[in-house]
Amino acid sequence: MSIQAKKKQVLLFYCLESEDLARKIASQSELIHLQSINWRSFDDGFPNLFINNAHEIRGEHVAFLASFSSPGVIFEQLSVIFALPRLFVASFTLVLPFFPTGSFERMEEEGDVATAFTMARILSNIPISRGGPTSLVIYDIHALQERFYFGDHVLPCFETGIPLLKQRLHQLSDSDNIVVAFPDDGAWKRFHKQLDHFPMVVCAKVREGDQRIVRLKEGNPAGCHVVIVDDLVQSGGTLIECQKVLAAHGATKVSAYVTHAVFPNRSWGRFIHKNCENSERAFAYFWITDSCPRTVKAIANEAPFEVLSLAGSIADALQI
Amino acid sequence: MSAASPQGPCYLFSSDTKTLKTTTTSQSSHFHKYKSVFPKCGLDQFRCELSSSFDNRWTVDCVTDNNPIHIILKPPSSMSMASSSTTLKQSKKVCLFYCAEMKALAERIASESDTIELRSITWRTFADGFPNLFISNAHGIRGQHVAFLASFSSPGVIFEQLSVIYALPKLFVSSFTLVLPFFPTGTSERMEEEGDVATAFTLARILSNVPISRGGPTSLVVFDIHALQERFYFGDNVLPCFESGVPLLKNRLQQLPDSDNISIAFPDDGAWKRFHKQLQHFPTIVCNKVREGDQRIVRLKEGDPKGRHVVIVDDLVQSGGTLIECQKMLAKHGAAKISAYVTHGIFPNRSWERFEHDTKGCPENGFNYFWITDSCPLTVKEVKNRQPFEVLSLASSIAATLHI
Repeated sequence: MSIQAKKKQVLLFYCLESEDLARKIASQSELIHLQSINWRSFDDGFPNLFINNAHEIRGEHVAFLASFSSPGVIFEQLSVIFALPRLFVASFTLVLPFFPTGSFERMEEEGDVATAFTMARILSNIPISRGGPTSLVIYDIHALQERFYFGDHVLPCFETGIPLLKQRLHQLSDSDNIVVAFPDDGAWKRFHKQLDHFPMVVCAKVREGDQRIVRLKEGNPAGCHVVIVDDLVQSGGTLIECQKVLAAHGATKVSAYVTHAVFPNRSWGRFIHKNCENSERAFAYFWITDSCPRTVKAIANEAPFEVLSLAGSIADALQI
Repeated sequence: MSAASPQGPCYLFSSDTKTLKTTTTSQSSHFHKYKSVFPKCGLDQFRCELSSSFDNRWTVDCVTDNNPIHIILKPPSSMSMASSSTTLKQSKKVCLFYCAEMKALAERIASESDTIELRSITWRTFADGFPNLFISNAHGIRGQHVAFLASFSSPGVIFEQLSVIYALPKLFVSSFTLVLPFFPTGTSERMEEEGDVATAFTLARILSNVPISRGGPTSLVVFDIHALQERFYFGDNVLPCFESGVPLLKNRLQQLPDSDNISIAFPDDGAWKRFHKQLQHFPTIVCNKVREGDQRIVRLKEGDPKGRHVVIVDDLVQSGGTLIECQKMLAKHGAAKISAYVTHGIFPNRSWERFEHDTKGCPENGFNYFWITDSCPLTVKEVKNRQPFEVLSLASSIAATLHI
């Protein structure tokens, strides 16, 4: 993303689990400087926080790189997020690469509690700063309607990791034999416009009695390297079922891309080549971004996983 | 209506049903049978029929004959309520939801009144750790007064409770009350230097953002908030209602055999500011921390503990270090017995273990009583049958505020 606007210096704070990504972002540009926070706890478990050099951030553009990997880490990061805009900063940007709870955003039945609404409401309550509403940068949010969940004091800025994927695909030796597959219509709606120069396959889950089975809905994977694309992966079950269907329909290689590798309970283990016999190595490549730092640390680029970093994209977004 | 009966009247008048709920006094098992008459204007005489609920626990005293609604409820000795009068047009039915760790207190609250009904929520988690919640019978709460009993015992449990707190007001309830007996982070409420992050502000801000319901702003009930200024941290969508556990203490002290030998000690000026007005009929002792070189030592500032049963009063206890220093200092100055009261027994890392029980008149070795309320349920679980601890329940006080 190249914007020929005046470049601005940005002071970047970050939560502990995002330190690696923060360093990568700062190394992308001389204009981005890392700042530090003392993260301690009181005996009762509540945070005891101190923002270093609080006076020096006056009049500066300030950003915070957050990661809400579990409910337990939200409160301490929120305390910093609510405090920073009020320190006379020139502007405040919250970078939250992965917006959790995003898949729980509907009330299908009265009584459902849409936790995405809770999360959006909390973030909408960030105090405004001298620079006006807080910019909120999120990658590949699960439901496109979620942009409307945010109040007027935040400006949601929805980015995507797909350009990183496209770049990577162009480097492959079989880049002219690639077909993109979507595991369901939701994924197709989210991504097809960005990937429309690739042939496409769409899958669907069909009800057969008590079961739900993945079937091919449109497109033909035969003889191709198929890359399944989705916004996030949890247990990986859906991806595995898709891979089986695609292989059964003649795909020569199957890979996967997700922006957010949530993988609760280390569910990425089932994909690791070291853990499988040759015949079970279902995925040739599994691309993820570093939006979920705890998973990325655990996976550590073990085949077939490859981490595509959001650092460059975030550094650009900080210039908006 | 008040009834003067020689045995001591025990009537609770409920204005919508026009019947009286009966209780027996603890001394007598007589039932007085009367027929009920509902005078339209305040007559000085009435007769009433007693229904047959044998609730042995309560004693009720009538206060005046003039004001028909002035009746003092005195719950059983360990569950005393504030000695304020309760208006009995309180037939406002309340649906009370609660977080898992507050189940015991919620049940106690519901047993205080027929008009408070417990409701349930399904608390599950998705594999990624985020909550998967369902409010049962959501249609059934439309048009009802709804309350939620919360407990933020650690940062990790805030998000799931917050999701319910943000969802309930939008289900067409007629009013919403959030009961948060202990407001944590209350001690981190100042920025002494730029860079301090006042987490009390974060929590107040999150709570100020509760959606309004058809009943207007959400009532937020908090007991003994740490800093009195914190009431101003809340925005306009929330009506903070600050209550105190001290009336429970006063009630309990009156039952002690040496109730006429009690002095109240405050560990610092902050505690004195918070509580002295409620305890002014007791002799007072004030301590403070004085700097001696690198150390800070507790000293007696005002008052004389000699020969007295001294009760140290504060809003909360963490490690207990301050209380123990006060105890040693008071013992040195001749206190006969030492007890303590805190509304909120936080006691991180099992720090309650350092509090020994003194039965031999050696106050330097232990406490006679250590009263806490049930605002911190995880602690209550640990200490409830362990001397010197006694738990005074906030149930009746909360039940009363739900009817505001």
